[in-house]
Amino acid sequence: MNPSIKMLLALLIAVEVSFTQSWSVNLILVLGSLIWLIAVKVAPRKIGLLFLVPILPAIAITISMYLWTDQSVHFILVLVTRIFAYVFVGSVATLTTTLQELILSLEQNAKLPSKFAYGFLGAFNLIPKIINEVAIIRSAGRMRNQTMHFWSPSLYFKAILASLNWSENLAEAMTSHGFVEDVRRTHYRIIHVPHHNYYEFGAILVVLQLLLFATPLP
Amino acid sequence: MAAVTIKNLTFSYSTEHTSLPATLKNLNLTFPSGKFSLLIGPSGTGKSTLLKLLANLYPAFRGRLETGTILYDDQSLADMQPSSISRMVALMFQDPDQQFAMDTVENEIIFALENLQVAPEQISAAVEWALEFVDITNLRHRVLSTLSGGEKQKVALAIIVAMDSDVILLDEPFASIDRGSRQFLLNRLAKLRDDAGKTIILADHNLSGYQDLVDAVFELDPAAKQITRLSDEQAENRFANFDHQLSPVKLGIPTAEENQVLHLSQLTLATPRETLVHVDSLGFAKGKITLLTGENGSGKSTLFNAITRLGHYQGQITYLADDIQKIRLKRYAMQVGLMFQDAQSQFLGITVDEELAISKKASHHPDYYTDSKITEMLTTINLSGCGDQVVYSLSEGQKKKLQLLEMLIVGSPVLLLDEPLKGLDLKSVTEVATFIATASHELGQTFIIISHQLTGLAAIVDYHLTLANQTLTYEEELK
Repeated sequence: MNPSIKMLLALLIAVEVSFTQSWSVNLILVLGSLIWLIAVKVAPRKIGLLFLVPILPAIAITISMYLWTDQSVHFILVLVTRIFAYVFVGSVATLTTTLQELILSLEQNAKLPSKFAYGFLGAFNLIPKIINEVAIIRSAGRMRNQTMHFWSPSLYFKAILASLNWSENLAEAMTSHGFVEDVRRTHYRIIHVPHHNYYEFGAILVVLQLLLFATPLP
Repeated sequence: MAAVTIKNLTFSYSTEHTSLPATLKNLNLTFPSGKFSLLIGPSGTGKSTLLKLLANLYPAFRGRLETGTILYDDQSLADMQPSSISRMVALMFQDPDQQFAMDTVENEIIFALENLQVAPEQISAAVEWALEFVDITNLRHRVLSTLSGGEKQKVALAIIVAMDSDVILLDEPFASIDRGSRQFLLNRLAKLRDDAGKTIILADHNLSGYQDLVDAVFELDPAAKQITRLSDEQAENRFANFDHQLSPVKLGIPTAEENQVLHLSQLTLATPRETLVHVDSLGFAKGKITLLTGENGSGKSTLFNAITRLGHYQGQITYLADDIQKIRLKRYAMQVGLMFQDAQSQFLGITVDEELAISKKASHHPDYYTDSKITEMLTTINLSGCGDQVVYSLSEGQKKKLQLLEMLIVGSPVLLLDEPLKGLDLKSVTEVATFIATASHELGQTFIIISHQLTGLAAIVDYHLTLANQTLTYEEELK
């Protein structure tokens, strides 16, 4: 599915789930997302992580709700399954698309201004640089007898300084390679929105409404 | 084809809040159309500034244009449509890291071509052609952050070539590139001039290899802040002066009896793709200056990272007979220091004075590096009176010199220098070389130096080590 459509679908589902109270629909969403993730061969390790990450907040909510409120078990179940639904539906939008595809699609299909699109992309491309920079900063410190722990303010100061410097450089770099704000660009990789994507988008939303409002699911 | 004319140009790095003296003052000159012009002059005096002005990046990103105009043929740069400027002129930065916005080599070139509104069906061929032109087709799908310094410079050059602008500006494009590639790329640039009629303006401190290729030489006079075109005779003189120092030097080979400070045994350095270096057994002589040369991407910086425990390796490295993995990292870092290729990586403070204070506090030789000694050294490298200046606002050359000075003051028994001469003019090179030789002779410090630029260094090195065919070998000659 086209990344922008997928993103929009995930957002709409998340909003709707926030205002409805059906733990079984939440579970159906988790299951549906899980099948999707397995179908497009997302690494099992990443899928496993999706189960692990929400566990802590889920336990916390269960315990505090059960002990300190008089909410029903049904309500607690809704809240807990909702967390998992958010995580899994969100993952379908993010784990099945590369950042590059998503941003190109947002630029071409969702008409996101290219300065934002490439600003984001540039910032994400800085991540390996930042990790490397932190290692170098700590090593540079050691060579002049300054130990930097991960809580040392000077480490953060240097890292922030480096980032500020990079953000300025990034704008200059993009300009030097011919980027001009609000000027038309060509696209080497054209991201299409196939017609069937709209049908799929509509169908999924319709099924969700039926499950939520037309069936007696708990 | 376009001539570049500069009229009455005065530029300063003044901001809204501070007023600074002009960096370039009342410039009037013309870079001839379809010719190869070389711009020379001491580091930190405004060559990069001029190129960024010509590329319309300044004053947009920094500084203030006090007066003057820049004309491409008869068209004023200020009146051009922003979208047509890149078709007229493209600049390759001095530091390639500062010019990349995308993740891979291919994506970066595509990004540039899309900006220039090249038709999608022509992009693939243009990418291929540019990579072939610079002879780096093998780098097409590589992630930029994994490339060596020299490889990055080649990629930056390929992008400028792909952009196909009428005027090509290059700011020290070969600073991290080995001599073989340098000559190859210079010939390719000359071909762009001859076949495609490009106007090429190139700034460099290292004058070797240009003599037979360039059509005009311009020199920046730092005192007058002016640039003048040299006569043929003056240009010959500059080249001769530079080449004069390049005659081969005979060197010895360290003997087995010599005291070794570092020793490598069964060392293998590898990337996920390939083995870069394998060494059976090799030592570095104590208290000597060893020069390490080798092609781009051959693994020189990787070796330095292994020795300083910044990177992984297989095998054993010993420091004074102790396995370096068994020495506490904090203690070891004060024994074996590294001067990074990128000067900014070294800085821990904000101003020049703060930087020096950190080094003085950590110094192994506080009695040697006294305040008066440091002041004297600062004066030699033209940094006196800059104490309050923010280190990040220094020119590339000044950063490099400050970086070396602060590592010398620390005076760790072994100091590795990764391209310490990058961005330095001949005068600064000589000063820096003298500093290194003095520290070696008077304090017994061991130096291992990676450098592509040999002028000025040849006179001070004791041994020459080459990295070729995936291994390290001592050579008897330096040329």
